[in-house]
Parts: sequence; structure tokens; C-alpha cells
Amino acid sequence: MNTPQPPSWAIRFLEKFCPPSLAESILGDLYEEFEDDLSFCSEAKARRRFVWNVFRFFRPGILLRNHYSYTLFNNNMWSNYFKIAGRNLLKRKMYSTINAVGLSIGIAFCILIFLFIRDEKSFDTFHKNKESIFRVEEKAYDVWEPDPENPYYYSAWLQAGLRNAVLDEIPQVDYATSFSNYGEVAINYKDQVFSENLTFVDQDFFSMFSFSSISGDQNQYLTELHHAVIPESYAQRIFGEEDPLDKIITIVLNGEKKNMTVSGVIEDAPTNSSLDYGILILPSNRSHYVMNLDKWYNFNTPLFIQLQENSGPEEVQAQLSTIVDKYMGESLAKRKLEYNIPDETVMFEYQLTNIEDIHLDTTISWTRSSDPKFTYILGGIALFILIIACINYVSLALTSSAGRSLEVGIRKAIGANRNQLLTQFSVEAIVLALLSLILALALVSVFLPSFNAFTDKNIRIDGMTALFMIGTGLGITMIIGLLSGSYPSLFLSGLNPIKVLKRIGTRVNAGFTKPLVVIQYGLSGILIISSIIMLKQMNFITTRDLGYNQDQVVVVHTNQKFDESANRFIEQFRQKVAPYGEIESVTGTTSSFNNGYSLNGYMIDGEQKSAYVYAVDPYYIPSLNIQLLQGTNFTASDSNALIVNEALVKDMGWENPLEEFLNWREDSLSAGARIIGVVKDYHFLSLEQKIEPMFLTLSSDDTGYLTTMLVRIASDNIPEAMEILRTSWVELAPDKPFDYSFLNEDVARQYEQYDRWTSIMTLSTFFAILISCLGLFGLAGINAVNRTKEIGIRKVMGAEIWNIFMLMNRQFILLVVISFIFAAPLSWWLMTQWLEGFTYSVTIGWDVFVLSCVIGLIVALLTVSYHSIKATRINPADTLKCE
Amino acid sequence: MGKTYLGEFEELVLTMVGILGDEGYGNAIVGEILSRMERQVNLSAVHVTLYRLEDKGLVKSEMGGATAKRGGRRKRYFKITNAGLSLLHDLQENRMKLWELLPEVKFSAT
Repeated sequence: MNTPQPPSWAIRFLEKFCPPSLAESILGDLYEEFEDDLSFCSEAKARRRFVWNVFRFFRPGILLRNHYSYTLFNNNMWSNYFKIAGRNLLKRKMYSTINAVGLSIGIAFCILIFLFIRDEKSFDTFHKNKESIFRVEEKAYDVWEPDPENPYYYSAWLQAGLRNAVLDEIPQVDYATSFSNYGEVAINYKDQVFSENLTFVDQDFFSMFSFSSISGDQNQYLTELHHAVIPESYAQRIFGEEDPLDKIITIVLNGEKKNMTVSGVIEDAPTNSSLDYGILILPSNRSHYVMNLDKWYNFNTPLFIQLQENSGPEEVQAQLSTIVDKYMGESLAKRKLEYNIPDETVMFEYQLTNIEDIHLDTTISWTRSSDPKFTYILGGIALFILIIACINYVSLALTSSAGRSLEVGIRKAIGANRNQLLTQFSVEAIVLALLSLILALALVSVFLPSFNAFTDKNIRIDGMTALFMIGTGLGITMIIGLLSGSYPSLFLSGLNPIKVLKRIGTRVNAGFTKPLVVIQYGLSGILIISSIIMLKQMNFITTRDLGYNQDQVVVVHTNQKFDESANRFIEQFRQKVAPYGEIESVTGTTSSFNNGYSLNGYMIDGEQKSAYVYAVDPYYIPSLNIQLLQGTNFTASDSNALIVNEALVKDMGWENPLEEFLNWREDSLSAGARIIGVVKDYHFLSLEQKIEPMFLTLSSDDTGYLTTMLVRIASDNIPEAMEILRTSWVELAPDKPFDYSFLNEDVARQYEQYDRWTSIMTLSTFFAILISCLGLFGLAGINAVNRTKEIGIRKVMGAEIWNIFMLMNRQFILLVVISFIFAAPLSWWLMTQWLEGFTYSVTIGWDVFVLSCVIGLIVALLTVSYHSIKATRINPADTLKCE
Repeated sequence: MGKTYLGEFEELVLTMVGILGDEGYGNAIVGEILSRMERQVNLSAVHVTLYRLEDKGLVKSEMGGATAKRGGRRKRYFKITNAGLSLLHDLQENRMKLWELLPEVKFSAT
């Protein structure tokens, strides 16, 4: 039988807060009261009263009687820890430097990644109504090439009429605006010509989004057809010091000149906004706008809506499906019948995505959207480097622990307990990490511009960012300090003081460092192998024969009116520059390489086929040095003739293509266009895709007019040739900007993203190797010192310098080889994933692994050898004479 | 050193410590106040007051022997010091002086 006891937690609580000298008598009194209570009330009640009485003692009169004499002693020890930490850092300057450099690079990488993630997270969060703003998207059944896994495709481009339908028929929608980037247009102001971006939005745009207005009345921004709102930096470019309000600018839209009045200036689109706008005008300025309003098969503008505060996207979604039924039901049903699609299949749906989720949405392509994958890769690299740096600290601390063991023994002998030793060594790690933090912050501010350039961001260090940086930096530092300090401190604090002080087994067996070095070198190995493969792939792509000559070709957008006159303009230009020997040839096309394409689908013999189509002129093939395998080039009158590529011949299964016709217009009255030539496959798209069927035609019907001029320059004197082009341009088209680029640069731009990744990989590999080598250097040094006597004895016994050199290096070489054995399959796997993005890629051969292993070995050997050579050269008499 | 002042509760506890002599500890004082004054006071209040009185040098304390009761915890016995006694004495005297100055009229009026 137990006698009733008061709750023990209450007793413990009282002992916690009560000065120890008073606790006993107070508890005794409480206990006595508890026993008295038991005699006249229930046990539960007595216990309750006990707890209550304990809490009554939790009062200043008792609490303030605590004298923290015990902690005062601890504070003395804390200052001692810091002092000892400082002295140790200064005493072993080389190791401290190695550690600090490694850690600071690691921390700097981490801070940069955190800044990157913070910026990614901040996308579109500055809108006041962000919760209720949604992008409307289509989810449509892909009748052409349905993928059995997911036969739908998603797009943000919708019908022009949807905006009115949504506003009229869905009461929960407060505002709706289209948002469609048109690209660059020519702008004339006075006699100057500019080329600026144009965006079509409705007046609701300003009520929905929180872009701040600089001047003008926000409610009157786009109330008239001829109003234009311009971003701040555009205003500075066009108007300079002048006040832009109510000025008239001329916008050349599809060759048509429109006079617009500037009704306001707003801030430039922030870098963390998914909506990247230029000059804003009403969509009703677009050509065929009114005609398109009831064309529900014409998808030409994205749409954003703002819902009423208390309504959710689900209700609106339901109402959107009634809009689908109302306007598109008939044609969708017809399509279903035509392509034999099962009845229950949903053909078309609208869906809503909140504005904050647009940025990281990878299913729908959108300017400035980004794949969260990149964040993970960057984070992974930063983590790699941080781990490598932490391992440096741990292995150096362990290997040099022999020197500290005496200190530990003495500390223990005079009464330090294990916790205090743990604290001491953690303090040392944290002090070092804090020093590295200062270095890291300096590194961050130095490297931020290049980091911005690489990630295509605009992160600047302002007050908040600086605070954030220091905050995360401190956080990372504390974690690193604790992590990398914990193992050495556990190890050192566990030493037996008697053994240490009697000098029994003073050589500390820190075998754990070897696996650490393997991990470290393994991570570096992964980075080395990956970057070699990436460099090989980039080299492969940039030097690959594309099937046409991309050098010394200038690409000019003619910006002409979109009709026959566009084609005529190119002819005029050709004649204008014909007398100059510097210009070899001029040709026109619908779209240049890496600048859009047009894919045409058609039915032949009941089979669905598709091919890329380019309208060109007869100069196209000779001008670009495209190889004609069969047949002849176009003559000026061949308006119903095609030149196809090998892929199309293969796709159609033609034996003798020159006798075939391709009925790509699905014209039931004729056999279609005659094939007059076959060109060798050339890469008209990026190397990420394989060469698809394609044909060239002279006809501009259904293919569009020649909007782009490709000019091949003959001479090496490019500036002179450019001057000829410019003066000819100004004479022919004085009101249009002379916008040009070089074809080889355009083509290279397709691989910009890969190029960036290659450079970040090379850079991180460099840092990873640097840090690992620093660590290896330190380890080798300690190793050499530990074995000084052994080397002396060996030399006395007659060992050659070469033997000793081998002895010293053997274990490190072995470690490096082992780590590469681990790194090879891992990096092979990673790189196979990466190369899958390319259709044309290098094969990963064994040579890559051997090459990177050799690089790793040479670097490691060079690092280690310094100490080995130093150790072998010491006169044994010097090392053996003491004792 | 200035003159020592006592609050009403402090004076009460001090008096009780004096009355209890060798037997003055927390619970005993609470019990004594209850039985003599019919006033329920909280243990913690008494403790805090005792420590304050000890700081002022009016009482002194020492730990008693262990008992089987109270979970084996010792008692802290409080004793009144000479300073405490003379303070009580002074207080009493001053109060009497003032008492005599009260006019009789007031009593007959009630």
C-alpha cells in the first residue's frame, strides 16, 4: 500500500525555482500541510491544493532570493574557453587558415543559395490582392499526337472573347485583364526611332496588380484606344528629361502607324514579377481584334482574373465549364466525332492557377517561370561544398588531437566534467565558424554580381537583405560549428585522463578520418567527372556541323507591314546592297534559326502527318550553303514547288521523291505541291531535338511573309559591312530601327542555359577541389609530423628517399582511388539524366572516368608530396637525438 | 541606519514568532494566526515575510532535526532576536502614547 503522495512534478518544479537553501523547509511545510489536508478532504483535492500552494511560492519574494553563484563560476569558464580557442587558432595558423578558407567558401555558397531561394519565393508576392488573382488556363485533349499517359496539353493562351464572357457571365469575377506580350515594335518620337517591347492589357490590369504608378491618373490610364502607359525606364530612354505625360508617340504595329498618347508612367516590371511588361496599350489595338472576339478556336492571349474576396476558385471553375459548353460545345462535339474520341473523354477545360504559383509551375510555359529543379541542383552543390569544408575541420581536428589530449587530461584531473569539455570544443568550432562567416560575407558581396549574371536575377544587398544574410549566415554558422565541432569534442572529451597523463597510448587512433576523406574526395570526384562530361557535351554541341554555314550571317528583322510588301522590301534591299562586294548575298525567310518556327499538320491517305515549314526565297539554299542532294533549287516562278529534307522523304517512305507531290494544304482538287529537290538534313531547330520532317516553299500563302532577312557578309571587315547595311537600311526604311543579330550568336543562345550550368559546375568543382586539397594538405602535414621518428629510424636503417616518399603517399593515393570508385557510378547516373535533355549527345566512355581519376590523383599527389618530401629530407639525427 | 518600519502583516508574523518561542516554523505560524486571530493566511506569504524579517535582522533561523513526518524534510525554526523584540516593544509603546492622545469624546459618541 502506498501512502498518498503529492505530485512529484510539482516538487521538482519547486526545487527548480526555489533557492536550494530554502527548498527543504518549504517543501517540508507544504508536505505537512498536504498531510493535514488528507485528514479532512479527498486525496485528489489535497493534491490540487498542494500544486496550488507550490504555485503560490512562485513569487518574487522567493525567486529573487536565488543567488546565481554557481553560474558565475561557469561564466569564468566561458571566458576561458574563448581565450583558449583564440590561442589555439593563433598557435596553428596553417590549420586555422585552411579551415577558415574552406568553411567561408562553403558558407558563402549557402548564403547565395538562400538568397536565390528567397528571391524565387518572393515572386508575385507583392500584389495586394494576390490571394484572389488567378491565371486562366486551358487543358485541351491533344487530338493530333495523344500521349497515352496524359493526352492533354496545357497552355495559358486563350481566346480573345473569353474576357468578356467571364466578366458578363460569372458574377464572382471582379476584374479581368488580358496580358499578352507582343515583342518588340518600332516606336517613333519626334525624329528618333526606338525598338521597345509592347504588351496588351486592359484597364483592369491597374486595379488588379500592385505595380506602382509614377505619374498620371491610374483610373484613366487605358480608358481610350489611343492611350499608352509606359514603364519608367522606357520613359527615360524615349523622353529623356522631358515630362512624358500627354506626349504623342508613334507605334508601328504590323506595319501600321498608330499615334498614341502617353497617359501615364508606371514602375518597371519588378524582377520578381511573373508579369514582365513593356509599353502597355489596349488589346483592341491588335489587328483583327474584333474579328477574333467570337472566334473560339483562335487562342491568342493569356487572361488574368480577380475573384470577389469571399469566393473560391472552385465555384468559378464550375461556371467556366458552362462557358466552354456555351461557346465551344458544338465544335468540340464535332471534333470528337471526327477523330473517334471516346464519349466520356473531356475535350476541353479551363483551370485556374493562383498568381503566386505561376513562377514555379512547369506544366505551362511562361516567361520567367523557372523549374524548381534548378534550386535543388544549386542547393545540392552548396551542400556538397559545405560538407567537404566541414569534413576538413573534423579530420584536421581529429588528427591533431594528440596535441590536445594532454590538455584534456589536465582539465579532467582538475574537475572538468564531460559536458564542460564538450562545450569547450564546440566553442572552438563556433569561434572558427564565426571568423569564416565574416570572410564569407565579404565573399558574397564580391561574388553577388557574377551570381546574378549566372542566375539571371537582380539580387541587391539592401537593408533587409543584409539582415537576412547575416541571419541565415549566423544560423548556418551555428549549425556548422555544432556539427563539425561535435565529433572531435565527443572524441576528445572521452579520453581517459589517467592514460593520457601517464603517456600511455598518446598516439590517438583517429581511424575515422579515413572514411571522411573518402566522402570528401568522393564528392569532389562527382563534381570533377560531371564537369568534364558537361564540358565535353558543350564542346560537342558548339563544334557540331549543323548542315548549314552559320558564320558571318547577319539576321535583320524587317519590321515591315505583314503583306506582299514585306517580300518586296527584301528584294529592294538586295538590290540596294548588290553593288557592294562586302555583302555576299541577301535572303529572306519567315523565321530565322532559334527564332520561332511553324509546324504544319495535314492528313495524307488517312494518316496524320506534320512537318515544319519555312517560306523562303530562291537565294536561301545557296546563301546558307545548304547541301542539295537531289533535284534543283527554286527558280523565281516555282510558287507551287517544295524542297524537302531527308527526314520528310523517310517519313513519307518515298523511293523517288522527285516524282512525288505533297498535298500539305489538303486540297482535294489537286495532287498538291511538286517536290523539286531534297536537301541534306540540317539542324533548323536546337540540337535538343532531332531533325524532323521539314520543307521549304516560295509561296507565302498559309506560311506567312518573309519577315526576316539573312545577310551573308563576304569580307572579314565586319564593321565596314555593317555600316553599308545600316546606311542602306536608313535610306530604305528611315522610320524602322535597324535591329540585327549574328546568326551564330543566335544559335549559341539556344544553349545558353547549358553553358551557364557548365560554368557553375566548373566553378564549384574548382572550389570543391580547392577545399579538399587544403584538407588533404593539412592531413598530410599532421601525418608527416606524427611519423617523424619512424621516418628517422627508417632512414638510419637504410631506407631510400624514394621508399619513404612512397610510404608517405601510399595511403592517400589509395583513399583517392577508393573515393573515385564510389564517385564514378553516382556521377554516371547523374550525367545520364542530364544528357537525356539532348537528342545529340556525347557517349560517356571509360576515358572520362580515367581522365578525372588521373586529375584527382595528380592534384592529390601534388598536395601531399610537399609534406612527404619535407619529411624525407629531414636529417634523422635531428629527429632522433632527443629522448 | 534608518529606522526600521514594519508592515501590518510583518508585525503580525513577528509577534507570532515571539509567541511561539522555540516552536516557530512556517506551518506553526499559519496555525497560530488561524487559532488566535481566526485569520486564514497563505503559507507562501508567511515564508516570504519570515525571510524578509530575517534580512532585517528581526528574526534568526536554524534548521531542526529530521523527522519521519514531512517526507523526512527538516524544519526551519525561526526565533525572534533582541532587535526584533525591542522593535515590537517600541511599536507597542508608541502606539500607547498615541492611544492616550485620543479624546474620550469619540468613544461616547459611538
